[in-house]
Amino acid sequence: MEVNLIVAGVGGQGSVLASHIVAMAAIKEGLRARVGETFGAAMRGGAVASHVRLGKKIYSPLVSKDGADLVLALEPLEGIRNSVRYLRKGGLLLTNTRAWSPTDVNIGLAEYPNMKTIEGALKKLGGRAVGIDATSLAQKAGNVRAMNVVMLGALARTGKLPVSVNSIKQVVQENVPKGTEEINLRAFELGLKAIRQG
Amino acid sequence: MGNEAIARGAIEAGVRVAASYPGTPASEIMETLALAAPKLGFHAEWSTNEKVAFEVAAGAAITGVRALTSMKNAGLNWTMDMFMTLVYGGVRGGFVIAVADDPDAHYSSNEQDTRFAAFYGEIPCLEPADQQEAKDMTRYAFELSEQLELPVMIRSATRLSHASGDVELGKIQKLDRKPVFDKHWKMPYRWNVYGPPGPVEKHKWLHSRIPLSKKAVEKLPWNKLEMKGRPKLGIIASGLGASYARDAVRRLGLEGKIAFLKVGAPTPLPEQLVGRLLKAVNTVFIVEEGDPLVELQVKVLAKDINPKVKVSGKLTGVLPPVGEINTDIVGDALAKLAGVRSRTDKARELARTKVSKLVAPRSSTLCAGCQHLGSYWALKQVLRKLGGSVPIVNGDIGCYEQGGYGIFSKSMKPSFSSISVRYLIDSPYETLDTNYIMGAGLGLMQGEFHAGYKDGAIVAVAGDSTFFHACIPAVINAVHNKAKGVFLVMDNSWTAMTGHQPNPGTGVTATGQPTKTLYIEDIAKACGVEYVKVVDPFDLKATQAALEDAMKTDGFAVVIARRVCTLQAQRQKKFVGKKIVVNPEKCTSCKLCVSLGCPAVVFKDKKGGIDTILCNGCGMCVQVCPTGALSAGE
Repeated sequence: MEVNLIVAGVGGQGSVLASHIVAMAAIKEGLRARVGETFGAAMRGGAVASHVRLGKKIYSPLVSKDGADLVLALEPLEGIRNSVRYLRKGGLLLTNTRAWSPTDVNIGLAEYPNMKTIEGALKKLGGRAVGIDATSLAQKAGNVRAMNVVMLGALARTGKLPVSVNSIKQVVQENVPKGTEEINLRAFELGLKAIRQG
Repeated sequence: MGNEAIARGAIEAGVRVAASYPGTPASEIMETLALAAPKLGFHAEWSTNEKVAFEVAAGAAITGVRALTSMKNAGLNWTMDMFMTLVYGGVRGGFVIAVADDPDAHYSSNEQDTRFAAFYGEIPCLEPADQQEAKDMTRYAFELSEQLELPVMIRSATRLSHASGDVELGKIQKLDRKPVFDKHWKMPYRWNVYGPPGPVEKHKWLHSRIPLSKKAVEKLPWNKLEMKGRPKLGIIASGLGASYARDAVRRLGLEGKIAFLKVGAPTPLPEQLVGRLLKAVNTVFIVEEGDPLVELQVKVLAKDINPKVKVSGKLTGVLPPVGEINTDIVGDALAKLAGVRSRTDKARELARTKVSKLVAPRSSTLCAGCQHLGSYWALKQVLRKLGGSVPIVNGDIGCYEQGGYGIFSKSMKPSFSSISVRYLIDSPYETLDTNYIMGAGLGLMQGEFHAGYKDGAIVAVAGDSTFFHACIPAVINAVHNKAKGVFLVMDNSWTAMTGHQPNPGTGVTATGQPTKTLYIEDIAKACGVEYVKVVDPFDLKATQAALEDAMKTDGFAVVIARRVCTLQAQRQKKFVGKKIVVNPEKCTSCKLCVSLGCPAVVFKDKKGGIDTILCNGCGMCVQVCPTGALSAGE
């Protein structure tokens, strides 16, 4: 048993914390875990991807090409960027639908792909895309910064992780900043309800 | 995290003094130590640069206590003078040099392999393959250092330092050693390289340690030779290379079919173990991250042990000589050497190429509301007015270096002009014309001046931490040797790019103790600079005016654009911005707001606008907008 996941997003969205939560939940359930972080300049606003590997016999901190069972994207463009390289055939891209438009698009040198284009692209690659408006759900929960936790709720609901919903929920509670536990719990529940199981 | 594991190893070993200068991907080693230091009662500091840090730690080790210094790849270069000389007398207390390399240059200006420095300095280097080893090896490195009386290097790399895994912790040793000093300890003038018997005899002593190092690395618990019978193919792998190789071997179903030697030290190598493998196989595949250090040594050994063995790796092109390796790259190379099929799906590759075209690049940018955006905006305006036909802006290392990252979706063609060429600065990210290392910009500026460059203004920019780290001698040099030019210091009071570490301009130490705040203007004046001005970069007009005056000055001028890093100000709730109001009717689509380069400024349906989630209300875009389409509300 081995599950490989990539958590992708933009610097400042909380993808590193989200990936660590998944890994800690797995360790809690007796698995080994590795998280490899990849980002460009150590800055906000850059593309960030955390490679999460869960299983019994794992060595490399990075997921192989076409080796990810899941891509969890906190930002759609980063979702497709990582899916192209890493998502395996039959894999799932679970993405927030709220775009964080890159400078390249803002200054008119590049185009931002819409959700339909992303879904079509995923089909071509033999995968599947599911989008939820996690940013709005986080705002509803009380703080836009809980968006990563909304996505964790949705991820837990997919049933594709070798970790129970409760373990993830518990690790979320233990690792979010003090005083924000309630907001994050609401965010997690909203994420759980946002998609159907399977 | 690998860096936390290294810190934990030092803590378990009873480290007494730890000193470092921030640098990605190494910073978290000291951040972790600084968190623990007050509780455990050891000293942890952010030093002004790596050389000072190295000396602070070395000084502690000379008195017999355990010390650690940590740095990124490029940081080690700063220490080399002391590094190459300290080894002539070695140390009394355990001294560990933890270096995090950055193959693929994710956060660095080069891909250098610092293991060669250990080879160069004739000290052992231990190379962990995962977080557990990072912790255990660091702890052991202190013992080895005391056994050999030499510094020991721990070599990490981005994929280890910035990767996390489960680690079993060990006990924290309480050493309580009293620092002692004996200037003739086991060798006359031990800590004074010139003292008789002098450097050559001390170099001889260093050489006399090599057999001891070799003996020690032979017994490392992190060496592992797996070999059944006489397989044709063998792997020798070090550090992360071993982790990639293990995954690749498993994926290709080669477990038990080939020989596998994981070495705990890439220099010196455990030669007997390497010899056993070399005697058995026809081909040996060397897997290591960085340059071919192990490969070169294995080639030399093979010549005596088994000249027929084929040594394959980076030197033979089986692995790429640049960039980082990973399981895919190692797997493909291994498949070829082992004569098994590697998996490629042509249809999928085709789909991948097609879909890749849909993925817009994401250029690296400064943060929303970053004050450096104001400095760059003002600089751009002044260069347009007074910069001459081809100004030169010399960059430096820090957040503001993104002023030279360019726009990823723009492709530039090389020019073969024989005269100076001007390129328009569209966004702030196209401002910097040169950029190499900490402090280099100010030196380059002076060379350009003394060369007699007359086609435009000559400017250098640096940040506050870089100023303290590497610019002070260059400021003195500019004054002493009468260079002319403008030096813009973008002072945000923090070492921000590496994760907000304090520096001498912050007013707090690594462990959070209040300390004296040093002001760059005081230092510049003390160095003899006559034009020194401090401005607020959020005030675009004032910043522009100061830079204009500086450019008109006949001499060397320093402008300090000072405002606490926006992220820090927000974290400390010291900055509350205004709500930016957009009036699309007034927008003439001139895109000046976009050219400020702030990620919170968006351009949709041919109109400028604000991303309210990102915007911090600094108001710089309001100053830039010529039509009043953007205005500051409450």
